[in-house]
Amino acid sequence: MANESRKGSEEEEGGEFADFMADISHEIAQRVESLDARPKAASREAKAVKDKKKTPAPLDAGVILEWPTIADRIIEEIR
Amino acid sequence: MSVVNYGTREITCKIVYYGPGRSGKTTNLQHVYSKLPEERKGKMVSLATETDRTLFFDFLPLDLGTISGFATRFQLYTVPGQVYYAATRKLVLQGVDGVVFVADSQSRQQAENIESLQDLHANLADEGLDPRTIPLVMQYNKRDLPAGEISAVEQLDDTLNFRGVPHFSATAVTGGGVFETLRSISTLVLSRLSAPQTRDS
Repeated sequence: MANESRKGSEEEEGGEFADFMADISHEIAQRVESLDARPKAASREAKAVKDKKKTPAPLDAGVILEWPTIADRIIEEIR
Repeated sequence: MSVVNYGTREITCKIVYYGPGRSGKTTNLQHVYSKLPEERKGKMVSLATETDRTLFFDFLPLDLGTISGFATRFQLYTVPGQVYYAATRKLVLQGVDGVVFVADSQSRQQAENIESLQDLHANLADEGLDPRTIPLVMQYNKRDLPAGEISAVEQLDDTLNFRGVPHFSATAVTGGGVFETLRSISTLVLSRLSAPQTRDS
């Protein structure tokens, strides 16, 4: 009887800390999700900005093949 | 103190139990310590006088292990409640993440409660912390004393809890309300992890 009572008391003791740990773990898990999400989101934003800064490719980029012709055109423009 | 270090994946929270002398701050920590599983029991450092009053402070490190990939540690401190240990209280408050104010429910201790709360606010302000926003929980201790000797919880709340923070009735000597209080302040502190200004990356 005394042993049962002591066992119950020990379980209760462990339970108090275990409940605390469970709550804290849950809270941290939630926060960590938001922390983990933030760098990824930031990285996505940075990539978007980087992409935006890139000089857009000209529509005929795939058509112009002869560089000397382009150079001639540039010189012509400068004149 | 950084609450979370994303780089090293560590969470460290410093929680300070504040309040007037003999309100039960050390008793709170002793109860938490007594309930820790053996594998998590570190050393509770307690510097007391011959008459068992806290001379300097109590320190209880709580290593909670790795939670969601973060090594999690809570550091629980108490301050000496006696008025003349003002310098120690200021020192212990440095880098605090959350405060539990342990008030003595005895009606005759009301002036001491108020004085200690004012002292807390002044010391937080000195540390550059906003007393209006720092995570805070009120604990009204010694609820087991005869009704004629203690103030009603509503009265204590009216007098001390003008921020309307979570408050708990407690009988720390038997453990009543101790973990509820700790759980509440821990949650409040952890809830700030998502606030960018508390993140130390």
